[in-house]
Amino acid sequence: MQPPNIGDIAPDFVLSTGRWLSDVRGAPVILAFHEPGWDPARADEIEGYRHLIQAGEEPQRVLVSNDEPAAALYGAARESAVFVLDGRGRIAWRHVAGIDPVESAAEIAALGLQTNGDGVRTAWSRRGFVATAIGAAVALTLEPTFGRAQTAAAQLPSGGTTTGAAVGDAVPVTLNVNGQTITLNLEPRVTLLDALREYAGLTGSKKGCDHGQCGACTVHIDRRRTLSCLTFAVMQQDKKITTIEGLAASAGATGDSLHPMQQAFIEHDGFQCGYCTSGQIMSATAMVGEPWGPGDDDVREAMSGNICRCGAYPGIVAAVQEVRRNGGGQGR
Amino acid sequence: MISFDYISAADVESALRAASTPSSKFIAGGTTLIDLMKLDVERPTTVVDVTTLARRDASLAAVSELPGGGLRLGALAHMSDVAWDPRVRDRYPLVSQSLLLAASGQLRNMATMGGNILQRTRCSYFRDTATPCNKRDPGSGCSAIGGFNRTHAILGTSEHCIATHPSDLAVALAALDTTVQVRGTAPRSIPFADFHLLPGAHPEVETTLRPGELITSIDLPAVSFAKRSLYLKVRDRASYAFALAAAAVAVDLQGGAIRGARVALGGVGTKPWRSHEAEAVLVGKRATEATFRAAANAALAGARPHKDNAFKVELAKRTLVRALTEVSA
Ligand SMILES: Cc1cc2nc3c(=O)[nH]c(=O)nc-3n(C[C@H](O)[C@H](O)[C@H](O)COP(=O)(O)OP(=O)(O)OC[C@H]3O[C@@H](n4cnc5c(N)ncnc54)[C@H](O)[C@@H]3O)c2cc1C
Ligand code: SF4
Ligand code: FES
Ligand code: FES
Repeated sequence: MQPPNIGDIAPDFVLSTGRWLSDVRGAPVILAFHEPGWDPARADEIEGYRHLIQAGEEPQRVLVSNDEPAAALYGAARESAVFVLDGRGRIAWRHVAGIDPVESAAEIAALGLQTNGDGVRTAWSRRGFVATAIGAAVALTLEPTFGRAQTAAAQLPSGGTTTGAAVGDAVPVTLNVNGQTITLNLEPRVTLLDALREYAGLTGSKKGCDHGQCGACTVHIDRRRTLSCLTFAVMQQDKKITTIEGLAASAGATGDSLHPMQQAFIEHDGFQCGYCTSGQIMSATAMVGEPWGPGDDDVREAMSGNICRCGAYPGIVAAVQEVRRNGGGQGR
Repeated sequence: MISFDYISAADVESALRAASTPSSKFIAGGTTLIDLMKLDVERPTTVVDVTTLARRDASLAAVSELPGGGLRLGALAHMSDVAWDPRVRDRYPLVSQSLLLAASGQLRNMATMGGNILQRTRCSYFRDTATPCNKRDPGSGCSAIGGFNRTHAILGTSEHCIATHPSDLAVALAALDTTVQVRGTAPRSIPFADFHLLPGAHPEVETTLRPGELITSIDLPAVSFAKRSLYLKVRDRASYAFALAAAAVAVDLQGGAIRGARVALGGVGTKPWRSHEAEAVLVGKRATEATFRAAANAALAGARPHKDNAFKVELAKRTLVRALTEVSA
């Protein structure tokens, strides 16, 4: 499984204390996945880690052996990884070995930011906090000696390890996506967007805001454009879901050929960075089938739920208008 | 977001039964509920999906005729379907317009009539669990009073809460003397004017809907002059934004004289703001700008602006004058 991204809600699991990870919200959490048998007590030897423990606003430490089931949730099965969670349980920073590149010199230098010239710790700045976590990550991932400690796992002063209990309440959810039936094991709280991206591997639908405000996550459900970030996957069983990956085929295109709207976006420079584009195109293909008037202003109004931070709007309007003139080509 | 039990309801009775557990919530379009669950502002432990009810009873998601010439909007009908319905567009233009000027094409395909009138305020402090808010956490205080309150209400506020009711549809419904049909232990009808509550000392209680009660429809009465109606919305950007000020108006015009009028304001009230004061000024007068201005002054006479939203008093007046001018033209 892919690790959660920065900004995502940290996947929940049961700690050794019997509490859920989400229960420790309110304070920052440092969540580290380490080699089985690694002695977490030795983390104290890392300069950065000592700062963490001494901090005024003490972050919770949660150390989990990377052979526990919870590690898989974080894309860290048998990998070293460190996640920093903010007080609301979102991933503020991450380092997963093998995925996130490490520029160790710069990061270790950044560690120095949190002490003043006399080696006395100054205010617990966000920057210092993150830098400290980086230090922990560097230590965990780059220092083989820390990963291969001889001592048996010691009792932790705070936080804990997982019990190995399964992530609660997952149920089989059957979705019809792009003409294929897939069954995923999901908690009811997994949104359709997360189900598509994180569980079904369909990353064409983008997460911009996760709150219905940007349109990047637009998909078709039973041929209507909807926001996949504001619906639960479990509610969309028995429906026909089309994502950007299946759009061209839904309109009868074969092989590598594109949907007419995709082609028009290319021809009219309807994008720059491309982040909003799959949502724009899904929105546009459905909008063509809605009872809007013929003008450019109608397109602007109909497409106002799709925000483009690059400001590619003139090209988007031109692309939509060309497709409308040529008679639609609506995808399903 | 906390974990919850998900129950998809097969029929109204089982939906009501499932929702009788404490801390349960119905979910329809999910566009308010999931948004707020992600912020930990809503924390239901049981979520009852009512979208499945329409499979058994399609009228719950449809627009249908009422005896006497009104229209019934099923609680599960989507904003887009109601907005584009030819009968709604023809007989209640203000309802169609209030829907098309709200949210976005995608959101309107998801959001429902019942969910729309129950949507929660967009007050940014309400949405941020790190700040005090009487509506979210009763007794904790109001961060908006004395905080940044540019988008907040100027009508119907209390010393405990000044949050604006965000719905556009609800403003159009307030102008029309609509009725909300509800199923609970017994079916009942709630006149729209009684549905939403002023914040008073208990901003956390927003409606007279009882816990576990299900809205089944919103009934629009026959209003002979509703054909001549308009919803005008003023906001920070041209589209896809909540109202800073809005006016829902309908006038019964006979040879330049106003025989009947309906006026409601949005973006300025703690609840959808019907203005009988403005209506009283309009009725019996000639449809002139002076009349409209007098009506607007009457509508805003009780306005109590805060630090950042004094501009809304004049903005709301001008919005109402323009709406009345356009609808009378
Ligand atoms: C980015 C964004 C922009 C928006 N812009 C606007 C705008 O400009 N104007 C505007 O008016 N609105 C706007 N909205 C709000 C939107 O219209 C509402 O979120 C929507 O109408 C809620 O309907 P829903 O079916 O999704 O409700 P849900 O989220 O499913 O439910 C909302 C609440 O109502 C309850 N509920 C739902 N159905 C019933 C029922 N039948 N009986 C009893 N209780 C029920 C639920 O338990 C929940 O508490 C916007 C929303 C977003 C996210
Ligand atoms: S205005 Fe109301 S919703 Fe906003 S912070 Fe104050 S009490 Fe909360
Ligand atoms: S990610 Fe869904 S609207 Fe922004
Ligand atoms: S192309 Fe960059 S956000 Fe639209």
